[in-house]
Amino acid sequence: MEKFIYTLKKLDKRWIYLLIFLSCIIPFWFPDMFPQEFSTSKETQRVYDIINGLNEGDAIFIDWAFDPTLQAELLPMAEQTIKQALDKKIRVFIYYPLLTGISLGENLLENIKKEPGYENIENGVDYIHLGYLPIGVDMVLFSMYSDFKATFGKEGKIFEGIKTFGDIKYMVSYAGSAHPEIYISLQPRFGFKMGAGVTAVVGPDMVPYLQTGQLDGMLFGLKGAAEYENLRIKSGAEKKYNQKANAGMASLNLSHIIMFLFIGLGNLVYFYERKYKKSI
Amino acid sequence: MDTVNFIIDNTILNPVVQRWMSVLFTIMMLSFLYRDNPLYKLGENTFLGISLGFGWVWSWNRIIVPYLFVPLKDSYLDFQPYDLTLVLWVIIGSTMFFRFSRNKGWIANYWFAFVFAYVAGYSIPIQVQALFIQGANMMKPLFEYPTFFEISKWFVIIFGTFAGLMYFFFSKPHRGLLGKTARIGILILMINFGASFGATVMGRIALFIGRAQVLADNIVPSIVITLSITVYLFIYFKYIKKEPGLDDELMH
Repeated sequence: MEKFIYTLKKLDKRWIYLLIFLSCIIPFWFPDMFPQEFSTSKETQRVYDIINGLNEGDAIFIDWAFDPTLQAELLPMAEQTIKQALDKKIRVFIYYPLLTGISLGENLLENIKKEPGYENIENGVDYIHLGYLPIGVDMVLFSMYSDFKATFGKEGKIFEGIKTFGDIKYMVSYAGSAHPEIYISLQPRFGFKMGAGVTAVVGPDMVPYLQTGQLDGMLFGLKGAAEYENLRIKSGAEKKYNQKANAGMASLNLSHIIMFLFIGLGNLVYFYERKYKKSI
Repeated sequence: MDTVNFIIDNTILNPVVQRWMSVLFTIMMLSFLYRDNPLYKLGENTFLGISLGFGWVWSWNRIIVPYLFVPLKDSYLDFQPYDLTLVLWVIIGSTMFFRFSRNKGWIANYWFAFVFAYVAGYSIPIQVQALFIQGANMMKPLFEYPTFFEISKWFVIIFGTFAGLMYFFFSKPHRGLLGKTARIGILILMINFGASFGATVMGRIALFIGRAQVLADNIVPSIVITLSITVYLFIYFKYIKKEPGLDDELMH
């Protein structure tokens, strides 16, 4: 036993890095070996149901507050909500509070257009990139409630019937920071409905807003994105084009199992040393 | 110019080159997990340089030109009194550059004073309003949905907050009832930190999974580049750099 404990204690960290690396990459090569079954959280379901309940011609507002550094978690979420809206002929307004996120959003829409069923969607008709404004998000919101179209200086058929932000039925803020709190703090003044899609790091900070009802729903990290993909696949979306987050879930699970294993082994060494009052 | 475009199209913008570059830089950055090495430094500095360059070009094209130069040019052709506000903000914003001067740095304070006053005047009422709504809404479920889960959750929030605060109450020794409450407080704090840490780890792994997916989707470049970098690291640490640096000591 002592020899085993000694080996564990002297184990080079790099073996753990290697195991984590393999646990992340192997599920991509052998996806059938790792079947994925997980339930859908009610926060994710709520965002899905709200967008699903909108009528043709309604409008949603996507607040794209992330750049490529967070695309692993947030891009699949944004992709699914945008596709869901486009499927239902809901108009999509995409605003970029971060300058470095614009090309990511533009690329996503270009890629969506290549998928079957979305070939005919048009910028300015079905969706629009509202771009970046060099003023604070709060000021943008005030301006949108004054004159939505003039705020961004854009033109298009998509603006028909949208005079102020009050004509937008729902908004979702995607961020890897406390950015959605800016909208939440202005909710009492304007009374709009909103959901959020956040990274797992920020998720716990946003949970209180769910309980208080300030957020209608929330997509939480990669799992939230995978749940949303599953909801869309169940409603008829083609799996081939809608499994970016699901592809990562097996890696996420396997890497966590490896981590649990090493946390357990670390505790074993700790308690063994404490019990026998000696340092190996 | 056509030659330049041709070269760019066939190098940086070529999809095959892009895939190889993506894999190359991913593995270069991951090579740090073995030991600090020049390839990692190259990747790190390339990333920083490109990020800054990209940010500058986008800021120039998407902010400075459309919101400053174009309106200034238009005002020169067709002057309107409200164009003066644009000049005013340019002057006020430019005072930030006085921070480079030791003697004249105070001039920038006017700009900071304006920003702080604006933020305080604007944010405080809104934040207070939002906090009151949050506090009031938090209590609602106890009366609206009196299920066991909601009631127990309510008590955890109230008592947990109180117990957590008691842990930081040092005016009396942590003995008796206060000691027990503080003990529960630290347990609740630890559960909170554990949940946050767990979510952080999950987020970081998710970020790495994004890169792992790139490597898995490009098997040939991944294998070729991994082998090449492994050979390089072997040669570098065996024959070129033999003495461990500070980072190497920290790794072991």
